[in-house]
Amino acid sequence: MLRVPLTRAICLTHSSRVLVTASARLQSNIPAKAPEKVEVFIDDQPVMVAPGTTVLQAAAQIGVEIPRFCYHERLAVAGNCRMCLVEVEKSPKPVAACAMPVMKGWRIKTNSEMTRKAREGVMEFLLANHPLDCPICDQGGECDLQDQAMVFGSDRSRFTDIDHAGKRAVEDKDIGPLVKTIMTRCIHCTRCIRFASEIAGVDDFGTTGRGNEMQVGTYVEKLFLTELSGNVIDLCPVGALTNKPYSFSARPWEVRKIDSIDVLDALGSNIVVSTRTGEVLRILPRENEDINEEWLSDKSRFACDGLKRQRLITPMLRKPNGELEAVEWETALIGVAQAVQNAGDKVAAVAGSLVDAEQLIAVKDLLNRLGSELLCTEQKFPTADGTSGTDFRSNYLLNSSIAACEEADLVLLVGTNPRYEAPLLNTRLRKGYVHKEQDIALIGPKVDLSYRYEHLGNSSSIVQDIASGKHPFAQRLKSAKRPLVIVGANALSRSDGKAFLAGLHSFANQLTPEDKNWKVWNVLQTNASQVAALDMGYKAGVEEIVAAGPKVLFLLGADGGAINKDNIPKDCFVVYLGHHGDNGAPLAHAILPGAAYTEKQATYVNTEGRAQQTLVAITPPGMARDDWKIIRALSEVIGTSLPYDNLDEIRDRLEDVAPHLVRYGRLEENNFYAQAAQLAKLQASSLQGDIDVKQRTLADFFMTDSISRASPTMAKCVQAVKKAQATA
Amino acid sequence: MMAGMLRRLPKSVVSLKWYQNSVSAYSSDALKQKEAPIVDNSVILDDKEMKEREKLTHLVNLPKEKTLASINGVPEEHVKDRRVRIFIPAKNAMQSGTNNLNTWRIEFDNRERWENPLMGWSSSADPLSNMSGVVEFNTKEEAINHCEKNGWKWLVSSEERKKKERVKNYGVNFSWDKRTRVSTK
Repeated sequence: MLRVPLTRAICLTHSSRVLVTASARLQSNIPAKAPEKVEVFIDDQPVMVAPGTTVLQAAAQIGVEIPRFCYHERLAVAGNCRMCLVEVEKSPKPVAACAMPVMKGWRIKTNSEMTRKAREGVMEFLLANHPLDCPICDQGGECDLQDQAMVFGSDRSRFTDIDHAGKRAVEDKDIGPLVKTIMTRCIHCTRCIRFASEIAGVDDFGTTGRGNEMQVGTYVEKLFLTELSGNVIDLCPVGALTNKPYSFSARPWEVRKIDSIDVLDALGSNIVVSTRTGEVLRILPRENEDINEEWLSDKSRFACDGLKRQRLITPMLRKPNGELEAVEWETALIGVAQAVQNAGDKVAAVAGSLVDAEQLIAVKDLLNRLGSELLCTEQKFPTADGTSGTDFRSNYLLNSSIAACEEADLVLLVGTNPRYEAPLLNTRLRKGYVHKEQDIALIGPKVDLSYRYEHLGNSSSIVQDIASGKHPFAQRLKSAKRPLVIVGANALSRSDGKAFLAGLHSFANQLTPEDKNWKVWNVLQTNASQVAALDMGYKAGVEEIVAAGPKVLFLLGADGGAINKDNIPKDCFVVYLGHHGDNGAPLAHAILPGAAYTEKQATYVNTEGRAQQTLVAITPPGMARDDWKIIRALSEVIGTSLPYDNLDEIRDRLEDVAPHLVRYGRLEENNFYAQAAQLAKLQASSLQGDIDVKQRTLADFFMTDSISRASPTMAKCVQAVKKAQATA
Repeated sequence: MMAGMLRRLPKSVVSLKWYQNSVSAYSSDALKQKEAPIVDNSVILDDKEMKEREKLTHLVNLPKEKTLASINGVPEEHVKDRRVRIFIPAKNAMQSGTNNLNTWRIEFDNRERWENPLMGWSSSADPLSNMSGVVEFNTKEEAINHCEKNGWKWLVSSEERKKKERVKNYGVNFSWDKRTRVSTK
């Protein structure tokens, strides 16, 4: 039950842990002999599999799917639902396919009389205590129990409750504002327990009691406080854990599913957007082995109700008395165009965190035609005098790729809290930690990363010591086979960010990993738009704009607060182009309503430099339009028409600027590491003070951008977490 | 009559063959014939009819249309402006079944939908929206051909990804020196 295992107790002393990992590394030095494949027969079909393969995997190789409830390919094998029982020839009893490794020459029968009978038996036991509430159950229509009862269950019931004793009932738990529990429906597959302890690293779930009294729960009343809690909804094969904000709102066959990309962090997780009647109802993860595997963070999953609130649905112009007035598109465009024409080349633009590549290129083309080069992103990145830190792509990307992060043997995190900045990168690191004996160290404030790590301190002098090789950890990095240095974008946006870049980048280049192509230097971006903007030649940070004092300033969803009333001239005409009335909109003299990421076909480049596109799930609300089309229309009113009229043409333009922007789904190789490091070194400055991160606890995770700030569900989460932290 | 026949025979080789065939057909076992043999009646045809018949023996060359768009009667806006995405559906995260993930599908760009004020149902003005994700193809090429034939712009958006091999082992749950050991159950 909820107990500390023996290994945990042993591991409490640090030295013994190092010993354990050292011995494991020794073992991995011995070159593994290629294992010989063994032949087994699935329903008389021969299949060659590696020794140690389970029966279930062997069957899957030839397309025979064995029914299962507890088995999940990304979780440890539990073997407790018994649904996967199959007959093996000459074995007196059926075997559990999910846990049983195959032996040479086994003849497995997945559709024999014995197998069928075993399945029917298991199904009968499960259904004897499962409520018949499918009509009011949110899982109805996408329920594994429903489907498997239809296919593998018996066609008649022996359940006759003549005494009206009722079925077994279990009290519902309150585990937070995101996951609704109906524990009577639970079939004890323990997937949620395994997810919580293995992937999320939060040992909150467990079972209590035995036999008929067994219950899955948190034992004491406790919220399931993790940034990945929504994934247990997907994992639950029945309707015991369901989506609370989505409850009772739709059936799976009524909704349209549109494949898209998430933009609320810089990873670009693949998602499926479910819509009905022009409304986003829910967001589910879409499998992508290279990025998000099968998971999704809670912000990406549940912030979709923010897409319906605080929206800008009509163009607005500020009246002389200071009020914003709703106007027609024509009036708004003429108003903005007049201001732009009067400004000459004193026009500037700031890109926020949710801007797509099409919009970025349209704005850049327009401003360049007007004679201005003042195009910046909100978030800073070390650039300096004459040379730019963003000249080489490898400077600002997560070069090693997200998937490779789990292969590393030693990771140094600097000024980042990946658990909240990029939850699905953190699950990769945790996967490496659990399954591949990865060691992780952190420079920055001490935070809970969901795994054990070595805390090197939070003083920036440690960065300097490591860069110069004085720190003992520098030696460990040098001797590591696959070291990684992951620096947070927020650490680099400090005023002394140059020193981070110069010191750590050249140190990373000095390391000699076993594999020549292994990339050590990695930057973890926090904004979905940042990489595309830098790729296109936007400057990082708004200093230049503040110094220039523009007459017209375009805010492209810039809600981060880098531009405020005090750092722009009084007579500056501010145009806000975005989808939410958030921090940037109150500054504006003109508001042009744009589309959110679910409402446009747009390109985003994630932190590893992979371009992906969102698809239109619903149309923009009210008079809102595609962002790049607004810029295109504006350019015509100004009198310098941009040369693209449709999506294909603007994508051709994107391809002209940077071909990788339209190679969707592909990861392009980066290079020029040595040159980039050398260039960075020229501008080195000294480090001062301590390193801090913006998101320290779970309460800081939920609301970070205009969409999640508008979401009532995210507000509830912050409230729940704060309440739990106060009472804990 | 017979003289006329003899006069014509050497002129047309085709008709001579027909004549021979028909003769041999009669001479073999008539009971084995499933349908009536073609009888050469070319002898009684006049020149005009003869020319007609000769025309029919040639191959007919129809003008080859690459797209059906010009003849299938689909409104122009649903040919010119539609973008089709060709993809393999992703596994539903909510369920474990994988049987419907093996075929290629096509999907049209999404158009506006609204709630119908009469019943609250979802309305759309897009006649192609119900084809999205329903039509199945065995290969990517079939789907591409289909799109080109109909004059739609297409984009292949997923690759056939090889499934990653995983080692599944019940024993790691209890291994004494690994971090995979589980604490809760």
